[in-house]
Amino acid sequence: MAQQTNNFSNWISQQIEADTTFTLSDAVRSPSRSRLAEGIFPTRKDEEWRYTPLGQILESSPDMDSRSAVTPEFINKLKDAMPQAHTLVFINGQYSENFSDNQTHLENAGLRISRFSQLNSTQLQMVEETILNAALTDDNIFQHITLGLAQNGLFIELAQNVDTQTTLHIIHISSAQGDTSFTNPVQVVRCGENSHLKMVEQFTSLGQAAVITVPASYIQMDKGAGLVHYKIGIENNETNHVSNTSVRVAESGTYQSHQYLLGSKLTRSNLEVSFTGPDGHAVLRGIYLGDENQHLDMRTYMDHAHPHCSSDQHFRGILNGHARGVFNGMVLVRKDAQKTDAQQTNKNLLLSRDARVDTKPQLEIFADDVKCAHGATIGELDPDALFYLQSRGIGKKDAALMLTRAFAAEISQEIELISLQDYLQDKIAASLNEIVNASI
Amino acid sequence: MLSIKNLQVSVEDKPILKGLNLEVKAGEIHAIMGPNGSGKSTLAHVLSGREGYRVDAGTAYYKGLNLLEMAPEIRAREGMFLAFQYPIEIPGVNNTSFLKKALNEIRKHNGEEELDAIDFLSLIKKQMNLVEMKENLLRRPVNQGFSGGEKKRNEILQMAVLNPTLAILDETDSGLDIDALRIVAGGVNKLRSADNAFVVITHYQRLLDYIVPDFVHVLSDGQIIKSGTKELALELEERGYDWLVDKAETQA
Repeated sequence: MAQQTNNFSNWISQQIEADTTFTLSDAVRSPSRSRLAEGIFPTRKDEEWRYTPLGQILESSPDMDSRSAVTPEFINKLKDAMPQAHTLVFINGQYSENFSDNQTHLENAGLRISRFSQLNSTQLQMVEETILNAALTDDNIFQHITLGLAQNGLFIELAQNVDTQTTLHIIHISSAQGDTSFTNPVQVVRCGENSHLKMVEQFTSLGQAAVITVPASYIQMDKGAGLVHYKIGIENNETNHVSNTSVRVAESGTYQSHQYLLGSKLTRSNLEVSFTGPDGHAVLRGIYLGDENQHLDMRTYMDHAHPHCSSDQHFRGILNGHARGVFNGMVLVRKDAQKTDAQQTNKNLLLSRDARVDTKPQLEIFADDVKCAHGATIGELDPDALFYLQSRGIGKKDAALMLTRAFAAEISQEIELISLQDYLQDKIAASLNEIVNASI
Repeated sequence: MLSIKNLQVSVEDKPILKGLNLEVKAGEIHAIMGPNGSGKSTLAHVLSGREGYRVDAGTAYYKGLNLLEMAPEIRAREGMFLAFQYPIEIPGVNNTSFLKKALNEIRKHNGEEELDAIDFLSLIKKQMNLVEMKENLLRRPVNQGFSGGEKKRNEILQMAVLNPTLAILDETDSGLDIDALRIVAGGVNKLRSADNAFVVITHYQRLLDYIVPDFVHVLSDGQIIKSGTKELALELEERGYDWLVDKAETQA
């Protein structure tokens, strides 16, 4: 890494000088601000960032001068994905009281949702602890941007022994017009002992203005807790999105992640999951679907530090045009993590000659009694399968569409929330329909 | 129905079919037999429109249509069907919805109304009895995890549902035990009528005990070197291919 003077770095310094409304204490803020003062951004020479260019972000000095009005119709369409869910809406990083559901009834059910500015000192301490415990191995500057510039944040707190039937649907909308804008939502989730929660995070844009989205999530799961976490990115083609998610799973906890990168100019998603006790279980799923000049980068880091834990990863990429996909998945099995079962699969489908994917599955094992496997494939549509469908009367485009949708459906059919599964499969089908119609 | 004249086909510049002639009329079953490498599967693939084959000379007309200029899906919609020697596994594509889509594409092409889910299910259930196929295979992805016999039965099920005018069976008997062979052949026999025709490609005479052909042709080195009735198949069973092949070479 090297110090660089760039527009974005200068802009960050200006923001820090101007900002007086930060809620979190210096313990959290200072390390991030020190890192920001160094202004060191990863370059293509850093192994973790070899395939993902940050040029467009570094050239930006965001300035939110005007924004489009978000209409109830726009929100309602997004709510269709999860009609039964409890919805929280953030517009350009600001919480929208108007569009969010009333939360009073949730607190009786053991689920407390607060913004950082509303926290009492005990809660604030819990939030800060959770953030500070969640050291990311990829100590990239983006989580420091999120924290160092955060004026507020969201704290989701689930008490002990709560099996909430409520699904949280957190919608982030950028509605900027004109110049490049910037949002940096921070989210802390604390699942109490033996409590269970489902949560859908959705990032979307209204309009075509460029946006830099830099979210960070810090998730702490106590003993026996279960979280099913969906992250959906359907942003406009001018959005650069770099997210960091850190999850700590205590004894017998179960974490499920389903990520859908379906739209943006560039997305880099860092997901790190660590077991902090034995018998934990993690299921990581994801689809990245890119066309034209999109760049989609999925990085996972699975840290097995305790025995009898299992992790199961399966990510699939579909790339067309000049789109580029990256999968970088590390599974680390430490010395004491005996009886670990870790599986990792990455499959990629290239629909055009100029599409490209770089896949890097990695396995580091320091324990001797473990079951680990990983594998990656990159391929085109199977000509034998295409011909088989055609030989039954199905046209070439329809056949290609069937095979491509099937490739994605093997991941998306694992979504247990049926309305969400339908919503995402429809989105994927619509994109694929466009791709296949244009390319075959 | 099918008229092939002087068909010459090569694969990667290697000539495989070297002037093949074949006439098939409605109501007929033709068996094409021959040693390995004689061009049997190439013939099946060229007729169904698979890529990778170069037609160097000759013609193939089906119902008066120039077959060699038609896309594979159009051939299928016009009533041609190929039962694959090695049916393809298609993960993620449900067997039932695949077959419903195929049938409706064919019906659309022929100006018929598409079948809805209920009508389609009653049709497919009826035809499944024909091939004694287990119902759970309908809910699975196409051919995925099917045994060899199940795959071949699935081919015959597709044939029964799509009800082709001309069906080409490419070594459908390979890898089948005697019970499966009997079931598959039984399916074909129930489907045969005065309006359709079958071309049965096989290495062994065994299948022809169950599907009785009107004509038997011996394909060797890309040409039909002898044609006859079902007795020719029995003779081949007894004497093998060598006596014919040697004779053909001597003549050449």
